[in-house]
Amino acid sequence: MKKKIGVYICHCGGNISDYVDVEKVRQAVENEGGVFLSKTTMFACADSNQKDMVSDIKEKQLDGVVVASCSPKLHLLTFRGVAERAGLNKYNYVHANIREQVSWAHSDNKTGATEKAIHIVKAAIAKVRNAESLEPVKVQSTKAVAVVGAGVAGMRAAIELAEAGAEVFLIEREFFVGGRVSQWDDLCITDETGKELITRLYDRVMQHKHVTLFTGAEIVENKGSVGNFEIKVKVTPRHFKLQCSGGELQKAIDVCPVEVPDEFNFNITKRKAIYHNYPSEYPQLPAIDMKTCTRCGKCEAVCNAVDFSQKTEYLNIKVGSILLATGFDPYEPPKGEFGYGEIDNVITLPQFKRVIHYNDKRLIWQGKEVKNIAYIYCVGSRQLNGDNKYCSRYCCTSTIHTAITAKNKYKGIHNFHFNRGIRTYGKAEVRYDESSRLGDVYLQSFEYDPPVVEARDGQTFVKIKDVLTANKELEVAADLVVLVTGMVPRKDNSIAGLLKVPKGRDKFFNEIHMKLRPVETVIDGVTIAGASQGPKNIMESMNSALSAATKSFSLIDSGELALEPTVAVVNKEACEWCGKCDEACPYSAFEKVEKDGKMIAKVIPSVCKGCGMCLPVCPSNALELIGLSDHDVESMIDVLIEKDTV
Amino acid sequence: MARINPEFSDELKKYGAFDLNACYNCGNCTAVCTLSDEENSFPRKMVRYSVLGLDGDLEASLDPWLCYYCGECSTTCPREADPGELMMSLRRWLTARYDWTGLSGLLYKSLPASIFAFLLLVVAVIWFAAKQQFDVASIMHYGHFFEMAAITLVFALILLPNIIHMWWLTIYKPGIKAPLSAYFKSLEDLIVHMFTQKRALGCDDNQFRWFEHFILVLGYLLLLFTTVFLNWFETTNLFVIILGYVESAIIFVVTFDFVRRRIQKDQAISKHSHPSDWFFVIWLFLMGLTAFTVRLFIDVDLLETNLWIYLVHLIILVQWALIIVPFGKWTHFLYRSFAMYFHRVIELKG
Repeated sequence: MKKKIGVYICHCGGNISDYVDVEKVRQAVENEGGVFLSKTTMFACADSNQKDMVSDIKEKQLDGVVVASCSPKLHLLTFRGVAERAGLNKYNYVHANIREQVSWAHSDNKTGATEKAIHIVKAAIAKVRNAESLEPVKVQSTKAVAVVGAGVAGMRAAIELAEAGAEVFLIEREFFVGGRVSQWDDLCITDETGKELITRLYDRVMQHKHVTLFTGAEIVENKGSVGNFEIKVKVTPRHFKLQCSGGELQKAIDVCPVEVPDEFNFNITKRKAIYHNYPSEYPQLPAIDMKTCTRCGKCEAVCNAVDFSQKTEYLNIKVGSILLATGFDPYEPPKGEFGYGEIDNVITLPQFKRVIHYNDKRLIWQGKEVKNIAYIYCVGSRQLNGDNKYCSRYCCTSTIHTAITAKNKYKGIHNFHFNRGIRTYGKAEVRYDESSRLGDVYLQSFEYDPPVVEARDGQTFVKIKDVLTANKELEVAADLVVLVTGMVPRKDNSIAGLLKVPKGRDKFFNEIHMKLRPVETVIDGVTIAGASQGPKNIMESMNSALSAATKSFSLIDSGELALEPTVAVVNKEACEWCGKCDEACPYSAFEKVEKDGKMIAKVIPSVCKGCGMCLPVCPSNALELIGLSDHDVESMIDVLIEKDTV
Repeated sequence: MARINPEFSDELKKYGAFDLNACYNCGNCTAVCTLSDEENSFPRKMVRYSVLGLDGDLEASLDPWLCYYCGECSTTCPREADPGELMMSLRRWLTARYDWTGLSGLLYKSLPASIFAFLLLVVAVIWFAAKQQFDVASIMHYGHFFEMAAITLVFALILLPNIIHMWWLTIYKPGIKAPLSAYFKSLEDLIVHMFTQKRALGCDDNQFRWFEHFILVLGYLLLLFTTVFLNWFETTNLFVIILGYVESAIIFVVTFDFVRRRIQKDQAISKHSHPSDWFFVIWLFLMGLTAFTVRLFIDVDLLETNLWIYLVHLIILVQWALIIVPFGKWTHFLYRSFAMYFHRVIELKG
């Protein structure tokens, strides 16, 4: 029990004192048990008052402090700081809000406001009376980070972390690095190819001795929490020895009888079970896709490097933080959306980019030369009826860039953009102007009246009621219809379930706060980067990758983490594991452990956020929140329901 | 359902339009145009139709003729797409479209063809003069006869069928059913606009240009009347002689000013000159000037010894009557007024 409590009641200029009689409040609480000193002050947060408080605490040896002023959101940390500067443990400070909760809310009733203020200050005194000094929970952290996904975002983050001094495990599910960017040729504005970007990043990743790259690898298990994640990584073999000559490899590919759609080319071409995506890809070692391989053995006969004896490996790795950069999938239109899957010259934008890649002099699709290209925008984005309400951001720019590329590469191309408003934001605006000047035609409609694609007389037509031509019905005879598909979360996003990373309404990984904490998740130690978080272009992915790397690094840099001590604790005697606390916990902070022959719940302090969701659901009242115990709260309630305070 | 034709803009460019692609549909041209109302957006609708290549909609539209090229849209356009000049090009394109012979289109699109036609007529006139042994009286007699014949034949064979064609494209083909009474009631509009170009007065800051144009038209029509029906070159009536002098002087003074403006390019309207524009103003200027000089030579009795001056006049006249009037810019005199007339008919139909 405290015996020397200091109470400060703030005027807040007139914000409080115009409605609350602060002197009366002071008089009402000065004789409360334990109160040694009570003062009113014009501005409690002013430097001069803070200095006075520090000297009061030091000289008069105060053991508890209450400031009755504004919302704790504004100044709780300020006055905790005052306590710490005076050498008093900051948990001996309690904040009473008599501005937002009293003077502003009850400006019509000064007597009632004063009475309520007295109640609130007395309740704070009751709480501070029981307050205990607490020390932060210290957690050792491993100076290593697992980066999941070796696309541009993952590789950039890995390089940054390694340069800062962390050990980095770069885990890529595919056999080749580069993700989506390796699928693109020239990129917008910079005129570099995606492959060039990947080469530059890959070279730096490989040069760095602190980065270990795993391909064909996935996290399959996760234990532990921030500072000490214990992950199990499954590494699938490529079934190729490191030394592999080009000639033999080509023979091995040629003899392979298995043909499957090539996902690297968005299924517009076929590949063998032995494959590499493009000639200079990384790592420069082919792989055998065991899901489709028939083990016929023909490749082994012609290529010595083929090695079917390689086994799947499992590695246990300890890291302090996990950075997710798992990327996106392009939206796959269902059969029949704008004729997709039904009319054979309707393809998606990613497919079109690969078509351009494979056609040099003339643009040919299904054996016919293409002249008129119709682009239908916002397919799978900004949906009126579907779930994808968001704008995919990259597509307007990418489409226009691709349209210009096609026009410059082939003769006689006419581009028709069936859009819902063009958003080539930022520097890409120049591309919109360029395409316009090149004679691209823009036609616009609203989401409730989209264009219609139909095949008749051996031709494909795109029809629209064009807003820009006074809603006139127009049609284009298109040789190729390109559906501008947006970004959607990865089809296989099981990593999110494994790490319990929450997803937003758009089903992408969700950050804590869109503006203030954009790369952290509610799972401490797990950060997110790139398009796994939502549609982003390459530049935006780089930005988020670098900030996620910084955030992850800040968690592991000192080797030790100081966490808030205000967490839940389990009364081992009272607890009979029922699992209700575990169900209620939004952070998965509970473990089921055996203690003295029975199963009980255990709180992992580095995961618990002290939110208190578990307390009311415990049937045996075996849970307590440090700093806000039942006793603390009950003593406050006792004071609050007292009558005749004045 | 209108089919978009991406090749059309290339065709239109041959008539003088140049940067259709610059338009980004902001609508500033429509905001500034005095002809625009809630129903019809000038000149953006025409710009858009041209970009999209909706030639069917374009040839059914009277809009290009309703615009008198004040140039506000071109000076306001933030992309310098020059919508005013596009309207001008559309008028040329429509002229070619109405012309059943196809010669209009050929002459508009090809400068060499135009020059060849002009030279051909020079040779023809000189050949004819040689056949008459360069006898002044005989040549002047046939010259006068030619004027009358040309007026009749050009009108009957070229201009009238073309106006009917225009009516067919703009009223009949789009399925507009107007009662006969509407055609009668609208006749007043036809006459007023044909002789006064009243609509041009509606354009802002345009009063002086309208006045110049107005007296030019008046002078031209009266000179036509004076030379053809009052036989100005052979008359002895002092009033008619002076009238002819005044009329021809008006023509060459006003057209001189027009040529000056096209050279100085001080207004949006005079910034871009298609060969057909130069031919029109220069030939009109030469017509006035040579007519004036021929009469002057007659009055001071020099013509007998200076036959060449009449030959020059005759060449100009023949070129004017056989090229510029039936196939060139002269036709705007008819098409503009008939456009106003048809427009009124459509309005009256309700």
